Amino acid sequence: MVGFEVVDHTADWSIRVWGRDLADLLRQAALGMNTLMVGEDTAVSPPTITRRLTLDADDAESLLVDWLSELAYWAEMEQVVFPEFALTAVTPTHLQATLHGGPVAELLKHIKAVTYHNLAITPTASGLETTIVFDV
Amino acid sequence: MKRSDFKQITPYVHEIPATFRADMRVPARFYADGELLEAALGDKSLDQLVNTATLPGIVKYALAMPDIHQGYGFPIGGVIATELPDGVISPGGVGYDINCGVRLLATHLHRDDITPHLDRLASALQANCPSGVGRGGSVRLKRQDLDRLMEQGADWALKNGYATKMDLERTEENGRLPHADASKVSERAKKRGLDQIGTLGAGNHFIEVDVVDEIFYDEAAQRMGLFPGQIVVQIHCGSRGFGHQICTDYVKRFQQSVHQYGIKLPDRELVCAPLSSPEGQDYQAAMHAAANYAFVNRQVLTHLIRQSFAQVLAGTGLRDTVYQIYDIAHNMAKIEEHEVDGRKRKLCVHRKGATRAFGPGSAVLPDAYRDIGQPVLVPGSMGTASWVLVGTEKSMAQSFGSTCHGAGRTMSRSQAKRTIRGDELREELEAEGIQVRAGSLPGLAEEAPSAYKDVDKVIEVVHGAGIARKVARIVPVAVVKG
Repeated sequence: MVGFEVVDHTADWSIRVWGRDLADLLRQAALGMNTLMVGEDTAVSPPTITRRLTLDADDAESLLVDWLSELAYWAEMEQVVFPEFALTAVTPTHLQATLHGGPVAELLKHIKAVTYHNLAITPTASGLETTIVFDV
Repeated sequence: MKRSDFKQITPYVHEIPATFRADMRVPARFYADGELLEAALGDKSLDQLVNTATLPGIVKYALAMPDIHQGYGFPIGGVIATELPDGVISPGGVGYDINCGVRLLATHLHRDDITPHLDRLASALQANCPSGVGRGGSVRLKRQDLDRLMEQGADWALKNGYATKMDLERTEENGRLPHADASKVSERAKKRGLDQIGTLGAGNHFIEVDVVDEIFYDEAAQRMGLFPGQIVVQIHCGSRGFGHQICTDYVKRFQQSVHQYGIKLPDRELVCAPLSSPEGQDYQAAMHAAANYAFVNRQVLTHLIRQSFAQVLAGTGLRDTVYQIYDIAHNMAKIEEHEVDGRKRKLCVHRKGATRAFGPGSAVLPDAYRDIGQPVLVPGSMGTASWVLVGTEKSMAQSFGSTCHGAGRTMSRSQAKRTIRGDELREELEAEGIQVRAGSLPGLAEEAPSAYKDVDKVIEVVHGAGIARKVARIVPVAVVKG
């Protein structure tokens, strides 16, 4: 099972994310954050921008925060969203990604930051799961 | 957590003893009446309060104000003080929007003067004061300007024609925190900060034109120049992407520091380092840079608001003077002296969604306010009242010179978005005579008054408990939001 859902949070926004493995979890987390930023229809057509990204972190949770923080940074600075990406060489402390996307007319939500609040990636019967809180 | 976990200390103070959880170093105290206590039990905010009671070096108690609600790491509405030199400083205890705060400006205008011009004024404020996601400001900074700005704070604004001397005198810390160091700020933070000076941003930030509705403390109101029917203006915003990135950078760096210093925490967002450590010092220098950035941001917005009044009132014969009442932070960690157990101690007071509220006689207050106490600015939810208070001797004795910062949310953003329509809300507010200029209607819905506590009830608690005193209630006539 892979996917994400918005979870109620009083002051900010939160999503629960699940995936078969860490790469899946990272992908779903990015799709979930994209949905917060641009709504249900996250497609950018045609994708005009390709970015390559390499990240190293101390553990899987930090890798997840760094990954989403990169995407939030580009959204704020360039109003660019990446709905398509290939994640390769994913380990709990490393990832490489090729992202395809483009500018969007409007960002519905400004992600100020991706927090570590109660952040833990936990194993489930079908893979991995976590809940992420964004400061908005 | 249950209501029975609390012991009532006074009618407005409830305590969770340090024995509640094995990792608590001090008790936790919550300022509330019965209704607000029940409301706080509805989310995780009081668990978050208990978590802050575990921080190394904490003294006396972890505090929560009546506008508490669930945040990340610290609750919003939380106050803790750690003792120097080895008590900790926590970036999450300040928050991502470093020196988010409120400025109150006043005019010589009466409501009746402005009513015929209000529509144009609201539009001018929206046009002149950039808001929303990703909108840059009109101030074009070079990199070396940004370095100077973050180190000099409001003095930079004064030198560059965006401020008056009186503005600076009536700003917390005169708008300039010491020892801000651009070399402790990442390149990415500087990139984010380069074009965001003089912008509101999105979320709950706003500019609001208000009318003074009622005065409760004549002497303090007169000293501030407030009178019934007067037009005043509030600004609520902070350090924008610059501060967000500094917090992100140091929360990441401190993930390692806690291992290095053997600090065990119940939540990774609470990461911290001793103030005396290189990491603690670096964060403080960078956080002060962000605080200075936020003071300049609100100052440049003040300049743009003055321009807006001048544009709209040109040729009307009305006075367009806009002068400052006060500017106060509500996301900050400050080094202050407070008496604890009969002895003056140097503390790092973290206020996360809480306002400094220094009482009469404090040496850091401007001459005009020294004998009445520090003005405290408490915005309500959109479309409802806001309050001007002053700090008291009791706030110094009880709450490290702190009080509440707003109404406090009760409804989640997602629930508000599901149940409230932005266009209907705008119509309702306009039917009440409030001009609304909003960049995003769904964003407007998230900030609906029904998603917040009643600010008047929050104020009753801080006034009743004595940790602030009512001066004036103000009500909105125009709101500009991102």
